Amino acid sequence: MARLRWQGWWDPFSSLRYMQREFERLLGRGFPFGESHAIGGGVYPPVNVFNGPNDILVQCEVAGVKPDDLDISITGETLMVKGVKKGHPDEEKLTFQRRERGMGEFSRTIILPDKIDADRVEAKLNLGVLTVRLPKSEAARPRQIKVNA
Amino acid sequence: MPEKTEKIAVRAEPARPQPQENTLAPLVDIYEEADGTVVLVAEVPGAAADKIDVRVDKGVLTVWADGRLEKPASDYAETYADFSAAQYFRAFALGDEIDRDRIESSLCEGVLTIRLPKAVAAKTRKIEVKTG
Repeated sequence: MARLRWQGWWDPFSSLRYMQREFERLLGRGFPFGESHAIGGGVYPPVNVFNGPNDILVQCEVAGVKPDDLDISITGETLMVKGVKKGHPDEEKLTFQRRERGMGEFSRTIILPDKIDADRVEAKLNLGVLTVRLPKSEAARPRQIKVNA
Repeated sequence: MPEKTEKIAVRAEPARPQPQENTLAPLVDIYEEADGTVVLVAEVPGAAADKIDVRVDKGVLTVWADGRLEKPASDYAETYADFSAAQYFRAFALGDEIDRDRIESSLCEGVLTIRLPKAVAAKTRKIEVKTG
């Protein structure tokens, strides 16, 4: 049976949150009346961090987000990915039968495992996946130590 | 530079068997436009156009996509993993009023949009009442 997204960590409150959103919608609150949805149970975008010998790779899943709507910044050893996932244009004219994708602002802060060289960071958005490559600073790279006999 | 939208061919073929392991259901929005066209928007991040399969057969629309990302080289340690790339699969029952031959689908930035127009004959038509 196909599973829904991001069930690697089990969220015990996801069904309650879903019910709360449905009630809010019935009562005329929540998106599009004011507050934005918490996308995916509140943790968005999902992130993978890979730590290599010379650089750190961070992958974020941001399908449907345009490159202009992303705001990526680095402060020290912290990477912050912020942005907004816009809804459908002309929403009022549409009748929704099913609405599973969330929209709204998102922000995720990732503490990097090592010191990086902020001037050489590259970010690419391809097929809805943002890949940020952060080269490590000289001091953080592994160095071989020769043993003197 | 924003990505171009790519067209995806919609095939009239029996559905591909659903893979079991590591298959996720993509999140979808389904809405109807003013003229009755049904639009299905599915999120399939990581899937390139040549790894997407949209088929219509016997009133069932099936969407399959391979969103498996390339893993970085083996000397990278996985510090934190929220998502592991996967195959996406979802099937939808089509109503009779959808025109099967004019279904179109396109991919842009990890979002697959499928437009299902209503058959012309099924649109509501006013019938004129003649007197006399």
